[in-house]
Amino acid sequence: MTFNSLVKATALVLALATPQALLAGGAAAPLPTQDWEHKGMFGEFDNNQMKRGAQVTVEVCMGCHSVKYIKFDFLRQFGFTEQEVKDMAESQGQTKKSRMISSMSEEDAKDSFGVIPPDLSLMTKARKGYEDYTYAMLTGYLNEDESELINNAMEDDALSDSEIQSIAAKLHLNPDDPEKVKEVVTRIQNGENFNKYYPGNFFAMPQPLMADQVEYADGTKTDLHQLAKDTTAFLAWAAEPTLMERKSTGKGVLLYLILLTALLYAIKRRMWSKLH
Amino acid sequence: MVNEQGENRRDFLMLATGAVGAVGVAGAAWPFIKSMSPSADVLAQATTEVDISTLSEGQMITVPWQGKPVFILHRTQAQIDEAVKDDGQAMRDPEKDGDRIQKPEWLVVLALCTHLGCVPQPIGTGEYGGFLCPCHGTHYDTSGRIRKGPAPKNLPVPHYEFKDDSTLVIGKAIA
Amino acid sequence: MFKNIMAWVDERLPVSDLIKSQLTEYPAPKNLNYWWNFGSLALLVLVIQLATGIFLVMHYKPDAALAFDSVEHIMRDVNFGWLLRYMHANGASFFFIAVYIHILRGMYYGSYRKPREILWWFGIVIFFLLMGTAFMGYVLPWGQMSYWGAAVITNLMSAVPVVGEDLVIWVWGGFSVGDPTLNRFFSLHYLMPFLVTGMVVLHLWALHAVHSNNPDGIDLEKKDTIPFHPYYTVKDLYGVGVFLLIYCFFVFFAPNAFLEPDNYIEANPMQTPAHIVPEWYFLPFYAILRSIDFLGTFSKLAGVIAMIGSIAILFVLPFLDRSPARSFRYRPISKVLFWIFFVDCVILGWVGYNPSDAVVLGGIPIVYVGRAASAVYFGYFVLIWIITAFGIEKPKPQPKSL
Repeated sequence: MTFNSLVKATALVLALATPQALLAGGAAAPLPTQDWEHKGMFGEFDNNQMKRGAQVTVEVCMGCHSVKYIKFDFLRQFGFTEQEVKDMAESQGQTKKSRMISSMSEEDAKDSFGVIPPDLSLMTKARKGYEDYTYAMLTGYLNEDESELINNAMEDDALSDSEIQSIAAKLHLNPDDPEKVKEVVTRIQNGENFNKYYPGNFFAMPQPLMADQVEYADGTKTDLHQLAKDTTAFLAWAAEPTLMERKSTGKGVLLYLILLTALLYAIKRRMWSKLH
Repeated sequence: MVNEQGENRRDFLMLATGAVGAVGVAGAAWPFIKSMSPSADVLAQATTEVDISTLSEGQMITVPWQGKPVFILHRTQAQIDEAVKDDGQAMRDPEKDGDRIQKPEWLVVLALCTHLGCVPQPIGTGEYGGFLCPCHGTHYDTSGRIRKGPAPKNLPVPHYEFKDDSTLVIGKAIA
Repeated sequence: MFKNIMAWVDERLPVSDLIKSQLTEYPAPKNLNYWWNFGSLALLVLVIQLATGIFLVMHYKPDAALAFDSVEHIMRDVNFGWLLRYMHANGASFFFIAVYIHILRGMYYGSYRKPREILWWFGIVIFFLLMGTAFMGYVLPWGQMSYWGAAVITNLMSAVPVVGEDLVIWVWGGFSVGDPTLNRFFSLHYLMPFLVTGMVVLHLWALHAVHSNNPDGIDLEKKDTIPFHPYYTVKDLYGVGVFLLIYCFFVFFAPNAFLEPDNYIEANPMQTPAHIVPEWYFLPFYAILRSIDFLGTFSKLAGVIAMIGSIAILFVLPFLDRSPARSFRYRPISKVLFWIFFVDCVILGWVGYNPSDAVVLGGIPIVYVGRAASAVYFGYFVLIWIITAFGIEKPKPQPKSL
């Protein structure tokens, strides 16, 4: 079998091998992918972005969520002053040496949302899609136009075909299933939280981030995309603060192994060439 | 060593590979050895912050620092005078009171008897107005110096600094 | 000086003789190809797993309330803890990569044939022990996949007639997977590698008693052999370099590639993840287990028997294969069967990865694919017997020597 035919065969197998049941039943739209500066062999966390993400996390996310494996004090490594860290901790009723635990108790959260908001320390590692999943959760809610479209729909208790088509397209629903579209519209109108990317679409978390919700000290614009990206990047750091150490060690190790393997190959070649 | 081809195997290539391999083995061992050193959360406990604003003259507290007890004594003028007065006395471990303190009214010592590591009793229990170690009867004075009994050394003074008027930080932060 | 010391030792313990007979003068076939590297590579991973494991235990806490946190403590606070854990977690996957290639090499070149049956059997015992060790190790981080993997696999024991239910409770040490289960799995996860090490010694003993097979599968004359050292020590070391390069790439740059994201969620006995999958190296056997679903109440037990049988059948492979030739190089039909078997294992793995109610290839329930692939899996062994026992396969002429 030639290499080319092998590649073709593999591609064919992969195409056929995607289980259709998953695609049909999963409902949620595929996650949009973002460029993450900390990913890849040479990716690094950007201190300024970490500062911004930490700010959003403390001011917004920590209203309900904790980041329990990180202590407020750790944030100083991004350039926050001791006083700034102290203030952030105090906003949650904590001291700078304590873990980043939300001031909202789990019982209160459960009363409000029906579930306990998950801890965010490992969020970017604990879902399929990793960072892209977190970003999609933060940005997958209905925008103004979409909300308006939904709210104006079904005024006469029924959806017209054109409404079904346009709603299904915007919300990534199956246009051939009008009953499902109708159910979704009704639930949104009843105040449930719709997220295009959340599996099952209806999410206990109301839209957490709005544009211009915080003010960045470094003057970076605060549209939804930027807020979500900074927050996700910060959470990626929180999920694995040793990532940079890992990659820099790894580069050295790989270079070393290439040298060692080359030397061993040279010896092996020389030794075995005399055999034949 | 010479192999059947009659060639000296200790040539450059072999030596270089051997050296590179040895470096690799040593390098690989390092993370294992280092993993047994105190971890980041333990190192974060290298310092202890103490609020001393509530401590009135003559009062003493014992605070844990790196898992060991430390005496913080707010000395009275009488206790300071007694310590300074004895500076010239013959002692087993001669040290001036002034060398053991940063501010005369604050004595900070590691509360582990230098004999066999018992915790001495509070101020005023021993002769010389100081601390008595109950295990083998060592007496330390109001500067924590060994004056009587089997202990060989004075109570050690840990690294500390006054962050502000009301906060004492014991220990050195380790990055 | 060195000579004197060696002479002193040799008088009391014949170390020099051992080195001579087992290394510098140990005859190895001169035509071994790179597929023969994977035995030493498996040994390398065993050493890596033992070393990293012993150091991880210094920081890990086998307690249902503390285990998950202690793993994060290792990842965040312990010096190079992230390295130890990622080496260990990826080491498990690379162990199976090495072992699977090692087993398939043995199957292709007929290394299980007379006189190497006992050598082969020791290998299968090692494989069984490795699977147990890996399974219990995966439970220790106490994430969602750890917990539910443990729940599903231990529940298989309830299929045992009469005592099944009691047996499961006994294994759990409680009414569900819980703290006692984690504690005993930790104990056994620490014990079993030493059993593996013991079996490896026996495996090597058996190997050195009958000597290595070779790609031609023929018995070699003295002139066709070369001393193991330095020829194969240096070739093995070169293989170690290449293997470590790939392994370290994963450890440092894609450490979570083999791990399920769900295992970064702490175990929650009240909520099962939407889609439970075992580690990739168990997937083919998991697929065989799930393929038997058409026998009513008997299905569960039959599935378990089929799963265990799929590995246990390797024990009788030396007696099923009656061909006059060992190596498939000279066996045209066996060669085709082997590659079908190999692709079938990949298909089984893919079936095992997908949910059991998935529909594939334009409308076929995946469970049908699983049944067919399971049949092919066992069919391989039956066909090898048929084509060799009844002389259907005519081997090509083999060389007398190299």
